[in-house]
Amino acid sequence: MNAASHIWAGEETETPWRFRLQEMAWRDLVDALKHDDLPFVGLWCDGTDVHALFLPDGQPLAATLALEDGRYPALSPARDISCLYERRIYDLYGAEGMWATDVRPLLDHDVWSSSTPLAEHPGAGGGQKGLIHFQPAEHMPQEGDMADGWGPATGGMEPPLHVALAMQEGRIRAAETVTGYAHRGMELRWRNSRVEDACKLSARVAAGQSVAHQVAFCLAVEDACKEQVGPEIRLLRVALLELERICHHLFLLADMARLAGARLVASGCMGLREKLLQEAAPITGSRLLMDVCVPGGLSLRHATQMGDMCGRLCEVAERDYPALLALWQEYPGLSMQLAGIGKVTADLLERVGLDGPTARAAGWDCDGRRMMPGYEGIWRFTSGRQDGTAEDRAMLLLEEVGESLRMLDEVASRIGLTAGGSVQLSMQDSEGTGMVEGPWGGILYWVRLKEGRVEQVFARNPSSAALLTFEAILPGHQPDDVALLARSLDINAAALDQ
Amino acid sequence: MGLIRAVFDAAFKQDMRRMKPVGPRWPLLLFHVDTGGCGGCGMELQALRYAPYDMEGAGFGFVTSPRNADVLLITGALTRAMAPVLEAAWQAMPTPKGLIAVGSCALDGGMFPENYTVLGGLERRVSIDLKIPGCPPAPQDVLNGLCSLFGKQAVPPKEAETSAV
Ligand code: SF4
Repeated sequence: MNAASHIWAGEETETPWRFRLQEMAWRDLVDALKHDDLPFVGLWCDGTDVHALFLPDGQPLAATLALEDGRYPALSPARDISCLYERRIYDLYGAEGMWATDVRPLLDHDVWSSSTPLAEHPGAGGGQKGLIHFQPAEHMPQEGDMADGWGPATGGMEPPLHVALAMQEGRIRAAETVTGYAHRGMELRWRNSRVEDACKLSARVAAGQSVAHQVAFCLAVEDACKEQVGPEIRLLRVALLELERICHHLFLLADMARLAGARLVASGCMGLREKLLQEAAPITGSRLLMDVCVPGGLSLRHATQMGDMCGRLCEVAERDYPALLALWQEYPGLSMQLAGIGKVTADLLERVGLDGPTARAAGWDCDGRRMMPGYEGIWRFTSGRQDGTAEDRAMLLLEEVGESLRMLDEVASRIGLTAGGSVQLSMQDSEGTGMVEGPWGGILYWVRLKEGRVEQVFARNPSSAALLTFEAILPGHQPDDVALLARSLDINAAALDQ
Repeated sequence: MGLIRAVFDAAFKQDMRRMKPVGPRWPLLLFHVDTGGCGGCGMELQALRYAPYDMEGAGFGFVTSPRNADVLLITGALTRAMAPVLEAAWQAMPTPKGLIAVGSCALDGGMFPENYTVLGGLERRVSIDLKIPGCPPAPQDVLNGLCSLFGKQAVPPKEAETSAV
C-alpha cells in the first residue's frame, strides 16, 4: 500500500480531499512515507487535530489525526523538513511529535508573555530576561571548535536571524540557525479575522514575495467559496506576479553582487529595479506591491492602465537588461567567486524538498507555473545552468528576469484596457487551498472559513526548506561567506518565523 | 525590556553651537536593526544605498557595528526576542546618539500590534528622535525624513541621475 492509499483509506471529512486517520493508520502512513516520494507540503495543528498536506500530481490530499493526550506520531522520521513544523507546533500549541528527529524550541525562547499561546489553556511566560539562550544541536560545539556567530543584528537590511558557527582551522565545521526573532504570531492574527484583513496580513508575511502570498491566499479563499475568477483577473495577477519576480530577483542579485565586492554590478541591478518601480508604483499603488489583491479580484490604483504599464516596463528593460547581463558575465572575478561557493546537490534538495530557483539551478525541472491557471501559452520551459552553485543560481535568476520580461510583454498585448472586474464571493463554512509559484518557489495556502470569517490559515513557503539547505551547505566555507550564502539561498527570517 | 533613553544629543541638533557638521565628509552614521517586521522597510532602506537616491551625498551612511554609529535606525514591530538585542546595540553606541523609527511597525506595531510575542512598536516605550511612518515608507520619504533632521531638503530622485548600468 503506498502512502496516498493510506490516506484515502481514512474516514471522509466535509472536505473531499482530506481524510481522518486513526493513530495506527497514521503510523502506517509515516512508515509508508519512508519509501514513497509523495510530495509533502506541510504539517499544522489547530489545537484538536494535526493535519498533514501532500500534493500528489499537483492536487491537495490531506490526512488529519486527533491529538491524543496532546501527542501525535511525528512525520520527521520520514520527511526531514517536518521537524521544523513539529517544533513550531510544539512552541505554539504544546502538542508533542512522538519520535520527532529534533525537539529543540524553534520560535519560543522563553521570552514570550505566555508559553504555548495558541493552546486552549496557554502556559505562563518564560520570564527570560536579556538576550535569548538556545540549546545547541547535538553536532554543535565539539572539542577543538572555535565558536563564532552571525546576526541577529548585522547592520544589514535583512530580517533577524542568528547563525551559530563551530569553526576549525578558519573554516566552518558545523552550523546551526537560531530562529524566532521575527515571529509575529501570524496564526493568531489570522484567526477569526475578516478575509480582507487576513489578505493584508498575507501581504506582509515576507516583503518581496507579497503578491505571491496574496494571490495564494485569495485562490484558497476562492477555492473554499467554490468560485473562480475570470481570465482577465487571472492575467492581471500573472502580470503582478511576474513584476514581483523581476524585482525580487534584481534585488537579490544586487545584494549578491555587493557582498561579492562587485558594487558596479549591484548598482546596475538596483538601478534597473528602481526604473521599473518608478513606472509601476503609480499604477499599482504600492512599490512593494502590498495590498494589490483581494479575494475575488484585485485592488489596484489604476487597473485599466496595467496593460500599458506592462508595455512600458518592457521598453525600459529592453534598453538596460542586455547590458546588465553582459556586465554580470564580464565583471572581473564575480562569476569565479560565486562558482566556488554554495553548491547544492540533488540529494540535498530531495532530502529537504526545496523547489524554486535553487532547485532549478541544480537541474531540477520544477516550476509551478506549468500548471497555474493564467499562464497557459505564456510560460514556457527553459533550461539553463544546472550545477547548483551560487553562480548557477545567479545566472538562473538573470535568465528568469529576461523570461519574466518576455511574459510581461505577452501579457501586455492580452490585457488591453481591462480592469479585470471582480467576483462576488459567498462565504460558506469550508476549506480551500491555493498555490502559486512565488519568486523563491511554491507558496501554498490552506484556509478554513467559518461564519464569513477566516477561522484558520496554514501558509507554506520555501523558507523552511531553504533554511535546512543553508545549514547543510555552510560546512567547509569561510565565515565571511555566510552573508553571501544566505542571500544566494534567499534565507528570509520574516517568512520563516511569521 | 530596559527602556532605551533615546535623547538625540544637542550635538546633532540644529542651531546648537556643538552641532555636528553634516555632509559627505562627516556623514551621520546609521546602524539598522530589523526588530521583526515583514522586511519591507529594510528593502526600501537597501534601495536608498543606490541611485537615484543620493544618500551618501546627503550626508548619511550605514555602518555594520553599533560602536561606529551615531544613530540607531529601527524597522519592524519589536518582538520580545529582539528587544534585548536592540538594547545591547544601543548600549554599544557611543554618545551622543539618537533613535529613528522607520515604518508603521516600528512606530506602533502597524499591522502587528502587541501580542504574546510582539511588543508592538517603540512609540509608547521610548522617546524617538525621528518618526518616518508608512508601510513601508518609500526610500525618498526616508531620505526626506533624514534630511529634515538638519533642516535640509533631499534631492528629489528625478533630478538625481538614474544610471541602470
Ligand atoms: S511597516 Fe509595513 S513594510 Fe515595514 S516592516 Fe512593517 S509591515 Fe513591513
